[in-house]
Amino acid sequence: MSSDRRGPRAAWRAVPSGLLATPALAWIALFFVAPVGLVFWYSLGRKPGLYQTHANDVLTLDRYREALGDTFLTSFAGTLRIGLAGTALCLAIGLPFAYWLAVKVRPHRRFVVLALVLVPFWTNFLIRTIGWQVVLSPEGFASRAMQSLGLIDTPFSMLFTRGAVLLGVVYNYLPMMILPLYVALDRVDGSLREASKDLGANRWRTALQVTLPLARPGIAAGLLLVFIPLMGDYVTAAVLGGARGNMVGQLVASQFQQAQNWALGSAMAVVLIVVIALTILATAAVGAACTWLLTHRRRRELAGIAEGSPA
Amino acid sequence: MSSSATRHAVTSARRAGAGDGTGSVELRSVRKSFGGVTVVQDLDLSVNPGEFLSLLGPSGCGKTTTLRMLAGFEQPDSGEVLISGAAVQHLPPHKRDVNTVFQSYALFPHMTVAANIAYGLRQRRGIDRAEIRSRVSEALDMVQMTRFADRKPNRLSGGQQQRVALARALVNRPSVLLLDEPLAALDRKLREDMQVELKLLQSRLGTTFVFVTHDQEEALSMSDRVAVMLNGRIEQIADPYTVYERPATAFVAGFIGQQNFFDGTVADGGRTIEIDGGTVLLAEPVTTPGSGAAAVRVAVRPEAVAVAEAAPDESDGSANALPGTVAAVSLLGDVLQYVVHADAGHELLARVPRRQAGRLAEGARVRCSWAPSDVHVFPAEATPRAPIGSAK
Amino acid sequence: MNHHDHTPRLLAPAARVAGLPRRTFLAGLAAAASVPLLAACGGSKGSGGSGSAAAELRAYSWSAYDDPKVLADFAAKYGPKVLVDSYSSNEEMIAKLAAAKGTSGYDIVIPTGVFVPQMAANGLLQELDHAKLPNLANLDKAFQNQEWDQGNKYTVTKYWGTTGFVYDTRVVKRDLKTWDDFFDAAQKEASGKTSLVDDPGEICAMLCFARGWHQSTTDKAQLDQIETFLVDTLARHIAAFDSSPGSSAIPQGTHALMHCWNGDARRGILASGDQDRWKWVLPGPKTNLWMDNWAIVKGSANADAAHELINYVLDPAVAVKQVDFVGYGSGVTGSEEEAKKLKLGLIDMIFPSAEQLTTMYTGVINEGQERRMAIVNKMKAKAGA
Repeated sequence: MSSDRRGPRAAWRAVPSGLLATPALAWIALFFVAPVGLVFWYSLGRKPGLYQTHANDVLTLDRYREALGDTFLTSFAGTLRIGLAGTALCLAIGLPFAYWLAVKVRPHRRFVVLALVLVPFWTNFLIRTIGWQVVLSPEGFASRAMQSLGLIDTPFSMLFTRGAVLLGVVYNYLPMMILPLYVALDRVDGSLREASKDLGANRWRTALQVTLPLARPGIAAGLLLVFIPLMGDYVTAAVLGGARGNMVGQLVASQFQQAQNWALGSAMAVVLIVVIALTILATAAVGAACTWLLTHRRRRELAGIAEGSPA
Repeated sequence: MSSSATRHAVTSARRAGAGDGTGSVELRSVRKSFGGVTVVQDLDLSVNPGEFLSLLGPSGCGKTTTLRMLAGFEQPDSGEVLISGAAVQHLPPHKRDVNTVFQSYALFPHMTVAANIAYGLRQRRGIDRAEIRSRVSEALDMVQMTRFADRKPNRLSGGQQQRVALARALVNRPSVLLLDEPLAALDRKLREDMQVELKLLQSRLGTTFVFVTHDQEEALSMSDRVAVMLNGRIEQIADPYTVYERPATAFVAGFIGQQNFFDGTVADGGRTIEIDGGTVLLAEPVTTPGSGAAAVRVAVRPEAVAVAEAAPDESDGSANALPGTVAAVSLLGDVLQYVVHADAGHELLARVPRRQAGRLAEGARVRCSWAPSDVHVFPAEATPRAPIGSAK
Repeated sequence: MNHHDHTPRLLAPAARVAGLPRRTFLAGLAAAASVPLLAACGGSKGSGGSGSAAAELRAYSWSAYDDPKVLADFAAKYGPKVLVDSYSSNEEMIAKLAAAKGTSGYDIVIPTGVFVPQMAANGLLQELDHAKLPNLANLDKAFQNQEWDQGNKYTVTKYWGTTGFVYDTRVVKRDLKTWDDFFDAAQKEASGKTSLVDDPGEICAMLCFARGWHQSTTDKAQLDQIETFLVDTLARHIAAFDSSPGSSAIPQGTHALMHCWNGDARRGILASGDQDRWKWVLPGPKTNLWMDNWAIVKGSANADAAHELINYVLDPAVAVKQVDFVGYGSGVTGSEEEAKKLKLGLIDMIFPSAEQLTTMYTGVINEGQERRMAIVNKMKAKAGA
């Protein structure tokens, strides 16, 4: 090899680029790999006594057996239901809103609308959530207003229902959906929408065939930004759903805080991470398969033109 | 484009019975303003079926807005838009029998070239798969892009994207094709080739083309007629020769080609015009409103100016002639261009065929002269923003 | 108290009582910003500072466990501002102190009695200097010399309390007296409107009190029955696990039947617009008794100021303010009489009768803990499913 001539220059180029990546790598190592690694390590241990939280003197997978019991699976099923329903609702509300904001609202007003979306989130989320608790309680604002309007004759309580959980979830996570969707939709060149209409597509077909496919990265980002934190959140659900808002995150937290059983808590956390990752992968695979099937016919229709085989 | 490539296109795309008004475009008293700024005012325009019409003007003149009103992207504030004889001003773009080639091409980045071209056909009912396939492949053939059918647009050059954009619009066989500065992003050589191809394609297809451009050469070389626009109005609409030879306004005179302008006053009952340092004789007398010495602007094209070595003692101007000094000489292919500083202070541009005369050196004393028939006179006030001698 | 012989085990409910665990803990977080403010208005540093030179005292406590006015008065009189962080279980507090090994920065903690011997044995607590606590004499003899801290070597009782339930008389129109009545109402009129304290020990103890088993039973058959009852019978009727219905559920009328601690119940009823609507029951045949205690953290740099604070709240006039604020008895002699003199609201809820006191006993910490936690987690999963 001609390392005598090229070698030094190539090395010179490789070194700084590696160096530049160091802070990012250090960041990931320090704040992601190390804590997750620690949790994984704890999960292989046990709780040795009433006043000790964990020990790794014996390495065992028993904690995983305990973690995967009925309780965890039932809680996880409930959590997954809330996670999927909440994410779907956020998408159902966030997508038209972000589309309206990116496409219909005049540029100089967008800032105002975005600010209106974000301003409530300058408040602590616990206060916001507890605020909903006050609004939704039988003696609360919503119930009294409806009673005085004659809509209902007995105090109503939406609090501690699944509806209240979903309401809180949508309220707390909607901006996480709207922001990436807005950015993605805003980046779709307006002339592409015009071209689509010019070619005979009405606004729905334009949205389905041009705008949404191009905003796909933003949709994926929004889904992940809502779904992942939502699966780990138990505060929103507990405050507004009570017993109906039982989330698997609460189970994990109770192992760390109440039971002081870090080994079992860690095993649950690891299982949770894995299951969430699998859920995301499965969803992505299903999405890709659906897209493939939906476009398959059209691709076949035009296949082979390049090879010079006109029909 | 090869003749075999275009044969399909011609037979399938030429519109039957163009005489029934299909392909005609008409704007009647169309007005459009944005936020209080009037962009198009009381515009009347009529395009014949099968015609290649250019909307030419500087940026901000309203030509693109006019095109967008034809496409349906903008609604006129008042007035009527007729396509093929039917009023369409309230129809959305997807219900109009027009297609657009965008300046940015606006190709769908997530679709292959073939899928881009098939897009318009797929929006319609009653076109079966086999027909879509055959029309897409025909359109690809027409623009010589068949072998790129499966590529994504971001892997094509600008010229290739341009062809795809054209095919994507034409595959729908619109009555009218709207082109919004489609060649502006191409480099000069490619642009000139595309001008020729586009013109040939248009005359083969017989489709009405409405072509927006700010490039007067492009407009002159391709169009059946040119509409020169300024400040939301049409200054002149005529065939390229008329626009060039007999500009209706000083602005048109200055925007199309280059001009030597002189400000002066009418004298001798309209037969001559007095300018600084000389007199301009006219072929036909001008009539001026009011009485006395009306201020006018006189235009003479550089190629109408003859440059001759002056006698050493000659320093007075005579009729249609100004003495001066050569300030610069440049070779523009077949012509020599002189910049002459007239003694009276004017700066003249003169273009002389290279072989016609010997080359005069910088600093030479010369006499510039022109024939009365090459003089155009415009009212002095009607020269807003006229970029004197600024066109390409 | 048949578990005394198991040496390191202590008496007391498995997890915790008195605390206002999670719900209030959350509310405490939400109000976190206001804590320094409250402490700050407690007076300028060193103003009139007799005694200790400490600028501040850091207490690690159950949330909302001290009257902010009392702490402000203390700061005004003696100087140190009292900064309070909250925990939601004894285990959490012990884990933190144990991990810090004397460097936690806390001066004061409030452990539940049964946890004290273990904490002392592990060197987490500092011995008290009785010379600095002249007001210790004010503490009722009944609350001194507890078996978990003979001679009050490490602790001084702060509050004592018990567990019962509150119901909405508009929904439950009959008299409820026992734990069985509670279960019955929860499955009938109050189904879907019942809340339980978020504490595995307390939840599992309910059936024990009703059946006459020890509340901290380790008997497998009994624990199995508890699991079957809670998971298969009761869970589906539970609307929430709320350790502090007094802070919002009672005033807002959210539930009809609420398992709660006496102080919290009192606070909720006092805050309710219609006090007659709510009825507090100290259920038979048996129920819980617990004590939370002042203790000084080993390694505290401000032990003098900490003693000062403990001595200060043992003053009957101060103690009664604290009692009124939290709704739990303080054990300071004469505080009951003082409270009666001041006509504190719902005073019977603070000071149960002598007859009622005989139905109360303390739990222990034992190997049943993990099982109780698992049972309650399973119950929660079932309730949420």
